[in-house]
Amino acid sequence: MAILTEVISFKDVSLNFGGVQALKNVSFDIKENSLFAIIGPNGAGKTSLLNCINGIYKPTTGSISIFEKDSKELHPDEIANLGISRTFQNIELFENMTALDNILIGAHRHVNYGPIRSLFYSKKVREEEKKARQISENVIDFLEIEEYRYSFILSLPYGIQKRIELGRALAMEPKVLLLDEPAAGMNNEETEDIARFILDIHEELGITVILIDHDMNMVMDIATEVVVMDFGEKLFQGNPADAARDQKVIDAYLGVS
Amino acid sequence: MRKRPDLYTNYKSESAIFSTLTQKVWFVLLLFISLLLPFYLSNYWMLLVTTSLLIAIASWGLNIVSGMAGQINLAHGVFVGIGAYTSAVIGGVATSSVIGFELDMIFWLPISGAVAALIGVIISPVSARLKGLNLGLVTLAIVFIGSHFFSNLKFITGGAGLGRKAAKLKFLGFDLDSGISIGNLILEKNDVIYYFSLILCILLGIGAKNLTRTKIGRAFSAIRDRDIAAEALGINLFKFKMYAFALSSFYAGIAGSIIFIISGGVEPGTFSLLYSITFIAIVIIGGVGTVLGPLYGAFFFTMLPGIIQVILHALGVADTGFFLNAGEIERIVFGFFIIFFLVFEPRGIWGIWFRLRNYFKAWPFSY
Ligand SMILES: Nc1ncnc2c1ncn2[C@@H]1O[C@H](COP(=O)(O)OP(=O)(O)O)[C@@H](O)[C@H]1O
Ligand SMILES: [Mg+2]
Repeated sequence: MAILTEVISFKDVSLNFGGVQALKNVSFDIKENSLFAIIGPNGAGKTSLLNCINGIYKPTTGSISIFEKDSKELHPDEIANLGISRTFQNIELFENMTALDNILIGAHRHVNYGPIRSLFYSKKVREEEKKARQISENVIDFLEIEEYRYSFILSLPYGIQKRIELGRALAMEPKVLLLDEPAAGMNNEETEDIARFILDIHEELGITVILIDHDMNMVMDIATEVVVMDFGEKLFQGNPADAARDQKVIDAYLGVS
Repeated sequence: MRKRPDLYTNYKSESAIFSTLTQKVWFVLLLFISLLLPFYLSNYWMLLVTTSLLIAIASWGLNIVSGMAGQINLAHGVFVGIGAYTSAVIGGVATSSVIGFELDMIFWLPISGAVAALIGVIISPVSARLKGLNLGLVTLAIVFIGSHFFSNLKFITGGAGLGRKAAKLKFLGFDLDSGISIGNLILEKNDVIYYFSLILCILLGIGAKNLTRTKIGRAFSAIRDRDIAAEALGINLFKFKMYAFALSSFYAGIAGSIIFIISGGVEPGTFSLLYSITFIAIVIIGGVGTVLGPLYGAFFFTMLPGIIQVILHALGVADTGFFLNAGEIERIVFGFFIIFFLVFEPRGIWGIWFRLRNYFKAWPFSY
């Protein structure tokens, strides 16, 4: 049996915005190959956790290590290039571009040449671009979005936009994928589709997935481990079935303090 | 049977510069006409065409940094100036007041682009720290710093009000300042400048197009539209903003190195704030972020005085009898077009062309 190692570990992380404490002394480890869910009511600090992982926020105190590197010393793009990719709670696609161009931008880190070669559209550029296109086409196949390839983002329905944002993140060919409420605003059928894709990403592609949801249902079925957040604090960590039986978790969800 | 124009059967044809046969035919036709132009147009119009080509090159530069990468730059004209003085020093004649090395164009052309690009690289970190209006303000300051240097580095520029001669036109050892005869074909200096400008315009235009169809252009657009998402996708903002400024200034430097050879001299006062803003207007009028837009805008801007002259002559009010002179009318008309395009057609002349083309494609079923 392979030894499970941590890809990301939080040590006593606190995050303050002026008077607001978005995270309070949060510690946990995320193991390689897990499907790690973070749940909690709105404002619990879930998105802040993701923003800390990918370096958009830096912890006020405490530390986060990503593949055993201290996140404080890394820019967001450097963290991305370690193989960490993400989607956003409110879709952050490039709206004036086609779905394909968005996904190609996701493949950015696999494309290797500089501006001068680009001006000349040299042989190297053509080869690298072909590689980027191949990666993008694999993603398009995987997510079954062939028909939207050349559509501009603004012309696409919300559910498809969410899927394209997922595609853009996958085109990074990440080791760890962070998903911020991927099923938010979707109907049951779309939610099932997304859940199926997430399982496939985890199992077929072998990617470590960190999944945020404010509602417990989807997560309970697919997660291997869950952390429950409330008011910036970690209420619970363990397997999903136990979370549903935990009194503190039940209280948080019922609004009892 | 006509093939479906949007159906690409392989990756190569999809990413080609000219995706249809019609476009290729048009390009060849235009190229052919361009080559013959000096034999049919008067000197006056040839000068306007040459200027348009060079202004187009500089405008492509601005379009790279502002249109593609979204970084406001009010100092683009300064980089044109840097190109102009670099070529004047390397390729110009020394006098008692200014230095000059009379070197070949093969040296001063690339070096002018490189020096401008280098200065672009040096100021680009500013754009990594500042955004939007604040960046605009800093670039505004660069216009004034540039003007100060241009006026005071007299051994390079000749000083305010005086200026200096531009570079000499010497290419691969041939002295082209007094024209050249090939067989019984006589090319005057201005024809030579025209052909150089045409070649550079085609090459750099293709370069601009190449940027848009590769990773570099995509990264620029990503930074322009959503910098946080771009960073989360592994795009190094600092590095790519530097690339944008470097490429942009390179284009400006190349254009600047040649454009003043037409009139023969450069004067520091040229590189005012208004000069920089002209490029912004050209890009807006032509179509921000499009490949052909800056070319259209440059021709429109440069040809406008000529066209207004023609109209005034036709109306018989060219010299007297009208309360505005030609220069004033030019500025008013140009200002009007800037507002018109900003309000009604943000995609500029390119946008109008795009709509016309689609209209005629659908003809007679247009509605
Ligand atoms: N950039 C910010 N500036 C100020 N407050 C913030 C910022 N980001 C998050 N917060 C605050 O931190 C808390 C947690 O927010 P968030 O992480 O978005 O929660 P969740 O994703 O669980 O809904 C909220 O009270 C929110 O208002
Ligand atoms: Mg959130």
